[in-house]
Amino acid sequence: MFRSLVVASALAAIPFVVVPLSAASAAPGHAPLPFGQAVPASQAKRTVTITMKDSLYEPKSVTVKAGEVVRFVIVNKGELLHEFALGRPEDHVEHQKMMATMMDHGMITATAIDREKMKMDHGAGMHSHGPESGSVLVEPGKRAELTWKFAQTATLQFACTIPGHYELGMVGEFRFQ
Amino acid sequence: MDTILNRRTALKLAAGAAGAAGIYAVYPGRRAFAAASEYNLAVEKGRITVDGISSRAKMMGGSVPAPTLRWREGEEVVIYATNRMDEPTSIHWHGLLLVGVMDGAPGFNGYVAIQPGETYTYRFRLRQSGTYWYHSHSAMQEQMGMYGAIVIAPKNGEKAAADRDYVVVLSDHTREDPRRVFANLKADPGYYNRGKRTLMDFFRDTKRDGLDATLKDRQDWAEMRMDPTDLADVTGYAFLVNGKGPEDNWTALFAPGERVRLRIVNASAMSFFDVRIPGLPMTIMAADGQDVQPVRVDEFRFGVGETYDVMVMPREDRAYTFFAEPIDRSGYARATLAPRAGMAGEIPALRPRTVLTMADMGMAHGGMDHGGMDHSSMGHGAPADAGKADHSTMDHSKMGHDKMDHSKMGHDKMDHSKMGHGGMQQGGMQHAMPASPSKSSTPPDRAVGWGDAGTRPGEKALAYADLRSARKNDDARAPTQEIEVRLNGIMERYMWNINGRPFGHDEAIRVKYGERVRIRYVNTTMMAHPMHLHGMFVELENGQGERMPRKHVTIVPPGQEVSVILTADEPGEWPFHCHLLYHMEAGMMTRFVVGPKEERKAEAK
Repeated sequence: MFRSLVVASALAAIPFVVVPLSAASAAPGHAPLPFGQAVPASQAKRTVTITMKDSLYEPKSVTVKAGEVVRFVIVNKGELLHEFALGRPEDHVEHQKMMATMMDHGMITATAIDREKMKMDHGAGMHSHGPESGSVLVEPGKRAELTWKFAQTATLQFACTIPGHYELGMVGEFRFQ
Repeated sequence: MDTILNRRTALKLAAGAAGAAGIYAVYPGRRAFAAASEYNLAVEKGRITVDGISSRAKMMGGSVPAPTLRWREGEEVVIYATNRMDEPTSIHWHGLLLVGVMDGAPGFNGYVAIQPGETYTYRFRLRQSGTYWYHSHSAMQEQMGMYGAIVIAPKNGEKAAADRDYVVVLSDHTREDPRRVFANLKADPGYYNRGKRTLMDFFRDTKRDGLDATLKDRQDWAEMRMDPTDLADVTGYAFLVNGKGPEDNWTALFAPGERVRLRIVNASAMSFFDVRIPGLPMTIMAADGQDVQPVRVDEFRFGVGETYDVMVMPREDRAYTFFAEPIDRSGYARATLAPRAGMAGEIPALRPRTVLTMADMGMAHGGMDHGGMDHSSMGHGAPADAGKADHSTMDHSKMGHDKMDHSKMGHDKMDHSKMGHGGMQQGGMQHAMPASPSKSSTPPDRAVGWGDAGTRPGEKALAYADLRSARKNDDARAPTQEIEVRLNGIMERYMWNINGRPFGHDEAIRVKYGERVRIRYVNTTMMAHPMHLHGMFVELENGQGERMPRKHVTIVPPGQEVSVILTADEPGEWPFHCHLLYHMEAGMMTRFVVGPKEERKAEAK
């Protein structure tokens, strides 16, 4: 799937992105995903704060318009590493597999990102890529930002695909006006 | 006008009527002026039907399992337990934090068994949330059906939102009277071991391993007075899910994509299970009622008395089989998760039962990982058909005799009188390694070692080390003393005890109120023991630092050591025992005495 991952730290100055190799070769440019694309924060007219806890989001749903640009400020108030990933349910299923692999390879742990392993581990079928993503990892106590231009989508969710978290209910919905 | 009396009288009458009708007898009641919920629980004899076969039972609230008690954290509950049997009984609230006398274990904390015709009033405030259970603590009545689940909702609401929430009580059911089972075990501990090795096995092993190695292996076991197939003492059980047999097929409904929480309780008398739902990973969210950080697994080993809460998310419109194999593979418990009633999923084949090895007995070589190693392929030459024998992971450099840690081999782990030094000599430690280790693609014909469930490659079985408490441990103090608890047994005589003394001749363990202590279990036997301390949670030293999981039952595998840490903050004299029913009955129990609060205060002055 066209999924990638922005790894955000407190500074969030150097966002670190990982996408599956296949996606990278299939989408060499910054082609929009079926449900929209990342854009600079300056384009946003609205900011929505998403709070992460173990293991849920507040709020649980966000209303958006097709074509609207929303800047998300994501704050992790939990004690575990969490993700804010946009996608359709089937995207999240695929994304969960990648996340499980990353955990197996030690690139992420329950509470943190191993940036060295993240850089080095090409064997996992992932490598670093540009900032186009739709997915942000936020370590406990930290915050990150993502600005997204929405394309009309039948069912669009924001979810955490770290193993087990989606099952425990860490998923929210976008409602299109 | 005394409203309490009137209310209570009304409840008793109601319960009596329902009890006579043989349906159910639990009546949540609420007094207008107090926050206590009241329940009547009648204990009576009855019959249950499992897969069409009727047998005698002892039951609470008119059913097996007993009705699930759904409570809320912070509330006070009052339970009127009425004994309608002709023998004394008791109800123990397994995993609940409460005042000693309310714990319900006769002979402890001043609690006396409920005599025939009597009603005992339990009253306690719920200081916790999660999944727990309740069962008889008298005369092996638990085996006859006296067990049920407790679900306590957190006062601030559930953290994980489930669309469906089911209680899944696993148990083992025998049509025999437990007293007869116990008598049979005493007379011949191998009475129920139908998988015992035979002369044919001896010839097979001889052909495979060579005569010397085979003789040596047999000699080792003989000297321990144990048998390597003794994973479970009692077989011939039917394995139940919520009181239903495999044919009855208890079914939980879901709509595809829903989150289904299963609160799984191992209420067996004697059975460890390997639990899985083929095709559906489980996210472990709580262990022994205590929230843990989510761990996604394909299966978990389930000790007697433990509980696990798991979340599953079946996405397909099909039936999934909930499958629990006892570790001796003598049968299975089965249930179904399905989008509609009447559906059935495929029932997987039973996996091979494991064969314990000398490695399980702590007699293997120092520096080697017993759990991950296929010892059979080391000591006795590698069978060509053993797919589990992955020699590539073995560190040959650690296998030389000169590196063997003799201190780990006998002196502190094993009871010399039972072992005999002869069994520890070179014969059992021959390293007949094949010149070129080869992996086999054929499935393993047997699993080797206690920890081996026969988990398929690529699938994950929960390990205790994976359990990580959702919240930090309250008490960061280092333990001030270490208490060694030796788990001993002489299988030939069906004698089981703690620290060499059977219950009744035991020496109580005493600690001061507020003391932080380490309990180090040393299992000198070849069976796993699920050790249960009443009244308090222990923290399992599993390498999770300040997030050690809190447990009320700790599995101590054969021949191994496991340590836990306890803050002794509940005064009283608590039962401390192996939760295998017949082991407890044989004497594997002692008193764990926590001194009074006053003592501590006086000392501080």
